[in-house]
Amino acid sequence: MKVNRKILTASVLTAVLLAACGNNEGNNTEANENAAGNTNNAAENTNNESNIENETNETNENEAEETNEAENEAGEETASETELDGELIVYSSRNEIFTDALLDKFEEDTGVEVRALHEAEPLQIQEEAGNVQADIFISNDIGGLEYLNQEGLLEESDPENIETIDEQFRADNNEWFALSTRARGFIYNKDMIEEEEVPSRMEDLLDDSYAEVENGYAITRGGNGGMIGNVSALRHEWGDERTEEWINSIQENAAGIYEGHGDIRRAVGEGTHAFGLVNNYYYHQQLEEPSDNNVGFVYADQGEGEMGAIANAAGVGLVADGPNPENAQAFLDWVLEEENQLEFVGESLEVPINPELDPPFEEAVPFSELQVQDMPLRELGNYFEDTRQLIEDAGLDLELR
Amino acid sequence: MSRKKEEEKNHRTQEGNFQFLQKRWRSIWNGNPPGMVLLTIGLITGILMSVPLVYVIIRSLAAGRDSWARLIGDRIPGLMWNTLSLTFAVTAFAIVIGVSLAWLVIRTDIPGRKVWQWLLAIPLVIPPYVGAVTYIIVFGPSGWMRDLWNGGVLNVFGDYPIQIYSFWGVFFVMTMFTYPYVFLIASASLRKMNRNYEEVARSQGMTTSQIFWKVNLPLLRPAIGAGAILISLYVLSDFGAIAMMRYVTFTAAIYYQRAGFDIPSASVLSLVLIVLTVIILWIESYSRRKNKFYQTSNTFRPPEILKLGRWKPLALIYVISVFTMAVVLPIFVLVYWTVVGAEAGAIDASFFEYAWNSVKVSGIAAVLCMLLALPLIYLKSRHPSFISSGIDKLSYTGYALPGVIVALGMVFIFNNHIPVLYNTFYMIAIAFVVRFLPQAMQAGEASLSLVSPRMDEAARSLGYPAWKVMLKVTLPSILPGVLAGGALVFVSSIKELPATLMLRPPGFDTLAVRVYYNASEAIYHQAAPGALLIVLVSIIPLHYLLKRY
Repeated sequence: MKVNRKILTASVLTAVLLAACGNNEGNNTEANENAAGNTNNAAENTNNESNIENETNETNENEAEETNEAENEAGEETASETELDGELIVYSSRNEIFTDALLDKFEEDTGVEVRALHEAEPLQIQEEAGNVQADIFISNDIGGLEYLNQEGLLEESDPENIETIDEQFRADNNEWFALSTRARGFIYNKDMIEEEEVPSRMEDLLDDSYAEVENGYAITRGGNGGMIGNVSALRHEWGDERTEEWINSIQENAAGIYEGHGDIRRAVGEGTHAFGLVNNYYYHQQLEEPSDNNVGFVYADQGEGEMGAIANAAGVGLVADGPNPENAQAFLDWVLEEENQLEFVGESLEVPINPELDPPFEEAVPFSELQVQDMPLRELGNYFEDTRQLIEDAGLDLELR
Repeated sequence: MSRKKEEEKNHRTQEGNFQFLQKRWRSIWNGNPPGMVLLTIGLITGILMSVPLVYVIIRSLAAGRDSWARLIGDRIPGLMWNTLSLTFAVTAFAIVIGVSLAWLVIRTDIPGRKVWQWLLAIPLVIPPYVGAVTYIIVFGPSGWMRDLWNGGVLNVFGDYPIQIYSFWGVFFVMTMFTYPYVFLIASASLRKMNRNYEEVARSQGMTTSQIFWKVNLPLLRPAIGAGAILISLYVLSDFGAIAMMRYVTFTAAIYYQRAGFDIPSASVLSLVLIVLTVIILWIESYSRRKNKFYQTSNTFRPPEILKLGRWKPLALIYVISVFTMAVVLPIFVLVYWTVVGAEAGAIDASFFEYAWNSVKVSGIAAVLCMLLALPLIYLKSRHPSFISSGIDKLSYTGYALPGVIVALGMVFIFNNHIPVLYNTFYMIAIAFVVRFLPQAMQAGEASLSLVSPRMDEAARSLGYPAWKVMLKVTLPSILPGVLAGGALVFVSSIKELPATLMLRPPGFDTLAVRVYYNASEAIYHQAAPGALLIVLVSIIPLHYLLKRY
């Protein structure tokens, strides 16, 4: 016991020393925490019950956070912003063109240095569970976020302004919340094909005749987050057997299989393919191009009695035990401010989830006017793993053409 | 009493054993064992170089029967076909282009033959992924050629016919940027070819073409073989060009599997790729043993230069068109888009940050390689034995293997065992060391072989300890070679793409990564300045490379 205490005091001292030596680096904030944790431990040690120790430690930390928050609320936003320091590690599966402006703005507003890893996939966070690197995960697919949540890799949060996001678009304890939505459909080149000839339902793609459309159609590789969500939704609707048939059919019949949706909108715009399966906002993006922009869009499954368009959303998850928890909390609060919700949508031209906000692309069809598949988005998390398996079995994850 | 005797006896046998071991040890090293420190450093380096490989093998064997069964069933045959057909086609075509060009510029009176000899080696400095970008810009579905085609009279022949995203697209790009390997090696050996053989053949009534097929070509076989090995290893390992042209080989598949963090599948595919690589290396050593050609040196006369006559214009057109496709076109495209980019402000603070990041990791890698190469080459040349040649071979593992496999191994190791360095840029630098250390070793070895061991011995006999000899006597005399090796490592590192992509920590992008990202998003004006800079930096060691062949 005595030796133990010595080590404890020594570590407390060094930790305090480290913390005193300026707060520039993320490491130091960790040290800070350690210091706090250790003092708690030391205090608890007199009662020595190691199990209880941990628990009280946690509650103490929570309390500390709460008081922190209370202070922040009291002391106006500007005060809280000047207090922040250090860095924030963001993993993002979203295209970096859409996220860079958002992250730059956060840096500007708060002084926190953001280090982003783009094109990160959810399983990287799982692989790093023993050596957590990321604070925040920005995802294009709710399935990935909810999957991580179910694996216990995300942490609950209670950010300000969370009530602006409808409950169906966030996790039970706000481990993640979505900020913008998208619906699946077909972008088509108006010079090449009439709207009536473009498929109007997902199941139309089971029909081999679409292989014979001039220049054919385009899909993404099965490893793409949007495609994973698409397949999960179909499994929910149809079951595995028919979905497998659908995967085989598009794999067989598609004239182009691309790495990302951006490639598809460009390819359809320039006439390489007649139409392509994408999210609606890629249509908005292609319309804004200076050339090759004579494109139209068909929302899938809008007829009476049909399943409705497959929806998905992009959002933010709080990674458990990340290196910079304070900055991560601050980021969640910040991103829920209305102007930043719009900044999150940014150049993607998606539709914000908060109904109070005007979509940045004015002609965007609001979700209320669409017939959307009636599946809570978080369901996607239950399908995530098996969907990847299904896609891999079909070989669509590695197919490019 | 008896106990004491026993003890004595034990002691004696122990001493005997020890003496025996010592003797053995000395005989292994031919009476000249290296110092313990030197040996330990060498041993550790060698082992470290092969750790990623070992790790990948272990992970793939542990992947479980399911993963294997699934992959062997559907995936591996398809990938195998994609990979092998491309490797074979590129290698074969590159040999044809490389040998024919070499023969034209070395053995014929083609105008400007001296200048062509190095102009035609320039594609070596253009990384294939940069070449691929330029070809997509020119020949892609919305490229310059399409506009030319649709705007001109050509469209009476139907729609724009070129499909750059196809097997033939990848094939063409890879060939254009790898043929110099064969070209350089074949040129060197054509230059050394003795004229006597040809004259004998001619006196027997053979025509020029018969001489080429029956005399020149067989003598060129070792050179062609060496070039073919280099090219096929290159095609097996390339990621950038292949990914940009939307083709999927083993390397690309491993990259995508790792990006989705499907580690078992990635390891299984890696093991197959490792086996393919080993087979090619084995073919190389086998053919080297089989084909030994001796040239008599005492009656050497430089080869005669043939008159092309009426074939001259045709040969010139051929040489010029290869040069245009492989050098002029890519450079022109890069310069054009760099100018566009510069006007649009693409060369901004973040551009210099990426450039600095590239320089930083490549610089660290170059310095580490120079330091680590020293003990290894010293051990190999001054203390030859099976141990030192084993260490030498071990340190080539990372060099022979594709970058994706090295990176895959590094992810495992650092994430699970060295978390402090995981997700730092040091990890990239270390990957570069594993991949490119042999380049520094080769350059150093070449210089060291010119320094007589007598010099070391003299210094040691005058009382310097071994380490002091190395620092004060050997190092100064081989410094130019070591520095050249460092430069080679630096340039290879700047160009390197797959390992950098897989290992970069959050917020740390290099020029190569930016070029890849911007090109795949079709933001060419931002991709071009970085690509052009990489090409310019790569020209630095070209002089050295040309001298080596």
